[in-house]
Amino acid sequence: MTNFMKITSLLVSAFALSSSPAFSAANDSSQSPAKKGATLAITGGKLLTVSHGTIENGVLLIVDGKITAVGAAGSVAVPKDATIVDAHGLTVYPGLIDPDTTLGLTEVGADAMSNDLSEPSDEIMPHMHVADAFHAETELIPVARLNGVTNAVVAPGTDDSVAGQDIFIQLAGRNRDAMILGRDVALALNYGADQRRRGGRGSAQFPSTRMGLITQLRQSLLDAQHYEADRNAAEKKSDKPAADKSAAAADKAADKAADKAADKAADKASDKPFQRDLKLEALLPYLHGERPVVVGVYEAYDVESIMKVAQEFHLKVILNHVTRSQEILDEIAAWKVPVIVGPIYELPRANERYDAVYTLPAELQKRGVKIAISSGEAGGPGGAHTVRNLPYAAGFAVGYGLPYDEGLRAITLNVAEMFGFGDKLGSLDVGKTANIVLANGDPLDVRTDVKQVYIDGIAQPMVSRQTILRDEYSK
Amino acid sequence: MNLHLSSLRSTSGLLYLSALAAIPLCAQQASTSAPPTDLVLKNATVMTASHGTIEHGVVWVHAGKIAEVGATVNAPANAVVIDETGKWLTPGIIDPHSHSALSNDVNEATSPVTPSMMMIDAFDNRDKALYQALAGGVTTELLLHGSANMIGGQAVVIKNKFGLSRDAMLFPNAPRSIKFASGENPKRVYGSRNQLPSTRMGNFEVMRQSFEDAKVYMAGWDAYNAKVAKKDATAVAPKKDLKLEALADVLRGKLYVQIHCYRADEFLTEEAIAQEYGYKIRAFHHALEMYKVAGQIAPTGTGIATFTDWWGFKDEAWDAIPWNAVMSMRAGVKVALKSDSNDHIRRLNQEAGKMVHYGGATEDEAIRMVTLNAAWIIGVDDRVGSIDPGKDADLVIWNIDPLSTYARAEKVYIDGDLFFDSSAPGFGTPHFNGAMHSAGGDGSDDEDEDGE
Repeated sequence: MTNFMKITSLLVSAFALSSSPAFSAANDSSQSPAKKGATLAITGGKLLTVSHGTIENGVLLIVDGKITAVGAAGSVAVPKDATIVDAHGLTVYPGLIDPDTTLGLTEVGADAMSNDLSEPSDEIMPHMHVADAFHAETELIPVARLNGVTNAVVAPGTDDSVAGQDIFIQLAGRNRDAMILGRDVALALNYGADQRRRGGRGSAQFPSTRMGLITQLRQSLLDAQHYEADRNAAEKKSDKPAADKSAAAADKAADKAADKAADKAADKASDKPFQRDLKLEALLPYLHGERPVVVGVYEAYDVESIMKVAQEFHLKVILNHVTRSQEILDEIAAWKVPVIVGPIYELPRANERYDAVYTLPAELQKRGVKIAISSGEAGGPGGAHTVRNLPYAAGFAVGYGLPYDEGLRAITLNVAEMFGFGDKLGSLDVGKTANIVLANGDPLDVRTDVKQVYIDGIAQPMVSRQTILRDEYSK
Repeated sequence: MNLHLSSLRSTSGLLYLSALAAIPLCAQQASTSAPPTDLVLKNATVMTASHGTIEHGVVWVHAGKIAEVGATVNAPANAVVIDETGKWLTPGIIDPHSHSALSNDVNEATSPVTPSMMMIDAFDNRDKALYQALAGGVTTELLLHGSANMIGGQAVVIKNKFGLSRDAMLFPNAPRSIKFASGENPKRVYGSRNQLPSTRMGNFEVMRQSFEDAKVYMAGWDAYNAKVAKKDATAVAPKKDLKLEALADVLRGKLYVQIHCYRADEFLTEEAIAQEYGYKIRAFHHALEMYKVAGQIAPTGTGIATFTDWWGFKDEAWDAIPWNAVMSMRAGVKVALKSDSNDHIRRLNQEAGKMVHYGGATEDEAIRMVTLNAAWIIGVDDRVGSIDPGKDADLVIWNIDPLSTYARAEKVYIDGDLFFDSSAPGFGTPHFNGAMHSAGGDGSDDEDEDGE
């Protein structure tokens, strides 16, 4: 109640202060759309393209939300009617992308009613769709956006072995539909001590050990394969009348002999429609290798165990965390899977060197592993309130040996590529979405101030609930 | 800190704890030679924290104290001279709010008033968190009781001489501090047990009642002492009560009062109660809404030890803004940054760097928030926290500007002795080569609040 009143009174004062959109409206940039076909030219800045190096005194052209030209001053013709943004003295780079967040699934950490992170009723919950819980109007998004984060993967909490399916979002838009660029883009799988214990070790509830977790997971994947076979059989059966009428009837006839066996096997209740099992069905795209499975795991021996299962079922793996796997980095590299490494702030174990985790991104990259870096705090689910610190996590990795360009790539292009948006996001290239950040210095440095964020080529209001409070109490 | 996060973590923390309990206690000191009597660190960019930055500066350390700092010094010819060209030199980083190395015994959450708890009794001088903080340049820490209780226990101040004995790590003659709390944590802990307090009304009434009890106790002792002074043979000593004795020490002004407090209204209430009972508040910790009332609090002289950008982890952190520290500083409040976390304590220098971004602090102001101002919160600013003659030679050599994301602590001196050297093999700890302990968990204030 107190909070609600506070928010309401601030809302009023915020709108009284200025006409800039605030609060929930701050995620909606559609109020100031650029004119169709109009050119926006960002000139004079230092362009960090990510894909093809740095361009001092560069020019970037944007039309209808897309990048239409990138190059050095003089090499790009700026149309006479273009709106010019003078970026002299500024660094210009693609919007940052956080590969592991819970944005829109949490508001106040300790307030259970504002959290939709984990469904605790079972360990295997692939049919939980983050898209169904994503709260587009969260106050956390403008806060993250102000520091240059324009896109993110949103994953469920990490309590369950199979926690649900991720979304890929843009940090601006009129509502959920405008902000979710991809639904069910990946399956969130977790393995280790946290999942084991949530059944309550010592309680009578299965699974209470790693053996239990792996068995349960393997059985679920087998069940899904079996379910698919059943479903296919049922579909063929119900398709038959239609198929007979079709031009392909002859071909279908050839299948008939094979189908007969299935028909016979079908139970007597064959008149009943096939009953879908949403849970098992949700696993199928991942068993087909159509989309990635993000495997959250920390300890080396846990990484090896879960990878055995993943390989057995030919899952398309993205490893996540691996912060206590220093002894198997060569093995990880040999698997040729991308890795979301971090949080880089994970605490080393006792009797490890203080920089055991700090150096992990560099060590993996050195071995040819494609890495992304996330913003989360040590040990928890993906970042939410901390997403704004994403560039600093990458900078930290650079401080401990990761080449600078790779650090920037790990929070832009690499993330886009891992989740299927490599052709649209993550670099300053012609044809890509104009998600662009202007800052007064090195984007990875904590002292740098982001001056302007563009999403879809539209200048975002540099306003959050926090700037409103700041301005209100600065008077 | 992050409540839902820590509740998710608690089980894994326990796991590590139990796994590590099997490691035999075999820590032993590495053999090291005594530090040189005269040490000169030259050609560094010296951030003094008290009087600006000196390019190509020199610091002369004599017998563990800073003898001279400047463009040149008059050190004896036999001094050990180290060329630090290209490096940066700062005072040791000071954390005025840590729960590291307390054996996971942060909260005696069995009563809302536990002022006789002594944190030194839980101090484990071989905890890995101390080492990891040392590698981040931290030389002094205030180890506080948690925030489950309105009146918690008494802090211990340590110098991070990792590898030395427990007693050798205590900050000699540091002022005593006591931890108070307010707001959500006490009301949650006791409210969930259907005990007093379960509201902020209950919280503050518990405090007032405690001080009323302490006044009666003090009066008893004052009467007795008066009789003794008059050589009255009928004088009977009242019973010594550790709890009331500690509260009496608060009223006597013998303890620095460090209050965990988030909301603007609660700063005002705390100041009113302090005034009513006649004690001073040294600092509000967390203090995330100080920016709303900084102008009112500044005249009281109470400082703050705050987070840079943590927010939203609970209701009373919902109005947190990263400009809080600089806005409060500009309004005249003494501001320090603190970790309250085994993670953040390793990178307080970068937390200070964020103050350049959020509010435009100068680099001088920013570094002071994790050195001299933090020392003031603890009450040891006359001994540490800046590079000035006469102060302890607690110094950090950084590869570059310590406020940068890319900064790494390369060498850490405490009392002129080298306790961390990143170029050394293994842990990089000249005084330690044994086995570390782990208390488990993240070392944050809220983590063990429920005593779970």
